[in-house]
Amino acid sequence: MPTSARIVGVGHTSLAPRLNRSAWALQAEAVRAAVADAGLRPQDVDGLITEPGYSQGVIEGITPHFLRLGAMLGLNPRYTSSEVLGGASCVAMVQRAAMAVAAGLCNVCVCVFGDAPSMARGTWSYGRGDGSAFGLFGAAGLHALAARRHMAVYGTRPEHLGEVAVTFRQHAGLTPHAQQRAPLPLGEYLESPYLVEPLRVLDCCLISDGAGAVVVTSAERARDLSRGGIRIAGFGQAHNLTGLAGADYLTTLPARESGPIAFGMAGITHDDVDIAQLYDCFTIVVLMQLEDYGFCAKGAAGAFVADGHLRLGGRLPTNTAGGLLSEGFGGGMFHVIEAVRQLRGECGARQVEEAEVALVSGHGLGMNTHATVILCRD
Amino acid sequence: MADTPRPAPVPDAVTAPFWEGCAQGELRVQECRACRFRWLPGSVVCPHCWSDAVTWVASAGEGTVVTFAVYHRSYHPAFQPLVPYVVAVVELAEGPRLVSNVVGVAPERVRVGMPVRVEFQSAGDIALPVFRPVGEGD
Ligand SMILES: [Zn+2]
Repeated sequence: MPTSARIVGVGHTSLAPRLNRSAWALQAEAVRAAVADAGLRPQDVDGLITEPGYSQGVIEGITPHFLRLGAMLGLNPRYTSSEVLGGASCVAMVQRAAMAVAAGLCNVCVCVFGDAPSMARGTWSYGRGDGSAFGLFGAAGLHALAARRHMAVYGTRPEHLGEVAVTFRQHAGLTPHAQQRAPLPLGEYLESPYLVEPLRVLDCCLISDGAGAVVVTSAERARDLSRGGIRIAGFGQAHNLTGLAGADYLTTLPARESGPIAFGMAGITHDDVDIAQLYDCFTIVVLMQLEDYGFCAKGAAGAFVADGHLRLGGRLPTNTAGGLLSEGFGGGMFHVIEAVRQLRGECGARQVEEAEVALVSGHGLGMNTHATVILCRD
Repeated sequence: MADTPRPAPVPDAVTAPFWEGCAQGELRVQECRACRFRWLPGSVVCPHCWSDAVTWVASAGEGTVVTFAVYHRSYHPAFQPLVPYVVAVVELAEGPRLVSNVVGVAPERVRVGMPVRVEFQSAGDIALPVFRPVGEGD
């Protein structure tokens, strides 16, 4: 089922440790900006898909987030839902919107992520089930387990993780709205303290208040808009629900299955991908995705990034706005937004020339969920 | 020892036999009578063949460290005195894997592939299965 749905608008708030505004206010601003960017009016919106954010949702329990946000936005949409796949949610929301539009359930579908952890009671370092009896807290612990295994099996070095952090910081330096823009020398990374060894604080995503939204519509509707939009060319999901019970857990991501589904739907190969926006809650996940998507052999991601392939001008410029590690915690929606902007050619100093095909990924709930979308400028 | 108790596992109908075993000094894994698959954590059916014929059996308590992480920061007051402490994934000789701690060895001496044996550490009302390297001194 090749899809013809298109992203015709993007919008976001600033990203900062503390914006002193509720998550609702941030989400509303992002929605307003995305709909305006599309050249549409509030009355045109007939689909709403939301992601409540960690401090609103995953920790304090999922209430029907779309219900309250929809009420505040005055919407009575023909299609709505909230996505609860953790870090895979935003990419999954774009997929869900593309499917809803393709099925004729709605025609102008807004997808929005937003969170204001500074205003919330919840914490990100929550326990992980019975694991907390053994001191396993936060997503960092789980990803540190994955990083240690990768190092032991494949010889991956701290410098390889550091290259990811250094590269994304460099990209953030060219991104006016990024939260962390000061250059990060590799030496500074290597001397920085561990959080959960082998991961350092600089291997972990930032914590930010902020919101981002995109507008998805049909190819027919997109033709009437001043922006033709970016085509949602292919997508896929795959999930590892068995966790530790599976031998692959902590070594291989479901990107391995999700990727080929998306590539197949889009009718492209790895060589066609000009840029990647990979979910980067931790540096190790970027290495694992490069391998599991097949951009390099399993175990070879350390050497791949050390060769500078993720940098602007490299073979696969990745997280060109800085990602979760330096742009700020945009939940994955800012990855989608950056891909759209690159494909529109709006990225100024960080623009990748001739960028026509982007891969965007989401990864979440520990290492259990994964979603992939391929976006094309045509 | 910490003054604050660790966050205790909350046994439910499915996992209670695991924690009862720990209290008796026995590490248990689930086994399918139909296909002989063994796994952790507890389930209501065999995750391999979906048979209801699941039972708990004793593990010999020996395994290897699949991977480990060293916490340099405490996220809970109970762990403050233990920093830096080791959280590990241990694969039992019978196959199942579990999250646990490696104890009785300095964090910098822990290795992936290290053979370990279970022992039980009391934490309030519950006994926690933790692992000590085989052949390491106390
Ligand atoms: Zn079975």
